[in-house]
Amino acid sequence: MCLGIPMQIVEIKDFNARCEAKGVERDVSLFMLQHEPVNVGDFVMVHVGYAIQKMSEADALSTWELFDEMLRAAESVDG
Amino acid sequence: MSLTAQHWLKQLHALDLKKPIKIMNVCGGHERAITMAGLRGVLPTMIELIPGPGCPVCICPEEAIYAAIQLAIQEKLRVVAFGDMLRVPVNVGKQEIRSLEQAKAHGGKIYPIASPMEAVQIALQHPDETVIFFVAGFETTTAPVATLLAQGVPDNLLILLAARLTYPAVKMLLDTGEAKFNALIAPGHVATVMGSEEWQFVVTEHQMPVAVAGFTTESLLAAIYSVIRQQLENNIFLDNCYPQLVSTHGNPTAKKYLAETMQVVDATWRGIGKIANSGFVLKNSKLDVKSHFFDYSQEARKYAGTMPPGCECAQVVLGKIYPNQCPLYGAACTPRTPIGPCMVSDEGACRIWWSGGVRTGRFNFLR
Repeated sequence: MCLGIPMQIVEIKDFNARCEAKGVERDVSLFMLQHEPVNVGDFVMVHVGYAIQKMSEADALSTWELFDEMLRAAESVDG
Repeated sequence: MSLTAQHWLKQLHALDLKKPIKIMNVCGGHERAITMAGLRGVLPTMIELIPGPGCPVCICPEEAIYAAIQLAIQEKLRVVAFGDMLRVPVNVGKQEIRSLEQAKAHGGKIYPIASPMEAVQIALQHPDETVIFFVAGFETTTAPVATLLAQGVPDNLLILLAARLTYPAVKMLLDTGEAKFNALIAPGHVATVMGSEEWQFVVTEHQMPVAVAGFTTESLLAAIYSVIRQQLENNIFLDNCYPQLVSTHGNPTAKKYLAETMQVVDATWRGIGKIANSGFVLKNSKLDVKSHFFDYSQEARKYAGTMPPGCECAQVVLGKIYPNQCPLYGAACTPRTPIGPCMVSDEGACRIWWSGGVRTGRFNFLR
């Protein structure tokens, strides 16, 4: 529930954004980022469908690598 | 440029540690990253990493889950909750409905959701029904819920609120002298929302090293290195090893909506009891399910509020024992047949250790 996923904004309509991560698209609320400018192409950290903070592309990429690693580890031993 | 994991490990092994140091984390995401990266196996043996209160599902009041079940079964209301909550058992007789999942199997209209926005969609799809949004979670979940409420929700959506703050549990452990750790890794995304300043009390009031960490191995190792250096050099401060996202004051919009819609109050944690200033109530009582329906959480029941019999989840959550020190771990309690919430939730330390391959405990002869 607390797992944050970095996503890239592909479309913005008012406070709602279409965001993408690794080929998966989701609707994300930008309502919590009203204090800063947000644009298409930006990376955001998403929690339960809400962008909680903007982030750099490099940081987004390193977090995705970590998820891939954890998923591989979980698949090999979970059960 | 930040250092690689290998660099940090080399630095950590070069430290002159004369006595053991116990470092607690308070985030299921941290514990998962530590366990999956196998950090405990590669750090110097003097360094102990303790999973602490980092799982909101694990400490969600048993009474609140019971109330959600009764609202679905007795009042026949539609109940939505984060998926993790559905399998958490309450303490009732074997013939009674013990979880939201069982309530669903008995015809209860219960739906798992992944985002607060889905609660609104479900309410809009069923305008003639009352929909209950059962909210458990720490600040990273509570702030989005507050934001949703500030935006306005349909009249037929009511809230059953069991949200909690993270830092008060650590404060309670330190204030009462029950803490089994010498240093703290503070949660990166809670701090992203609330600001790193929330953890300043660890330094100011308890002179204990603390560092906010992100979720990569590098950020976690940096934070571990920071707190050990702080202790060795007797230079205690609040370090921020996740500056990419964490600022001193946090997300101002999120904090504004939290303050607008919710009030911080003393609140109970399952199996632990009341912790000062650790929960929320809704400022607009009209949104609160308790204003409209019987408050089932207050029903007198044997074992109300406790962990399931024999389950040591509360001790695990408080960092007093490791998951595999619970007599039930891997014996009666596994992810397939969980007894305690720590084995149910993806953020529970027991579940994470099991996923990480820890199969034996101190009591493995029970198997």
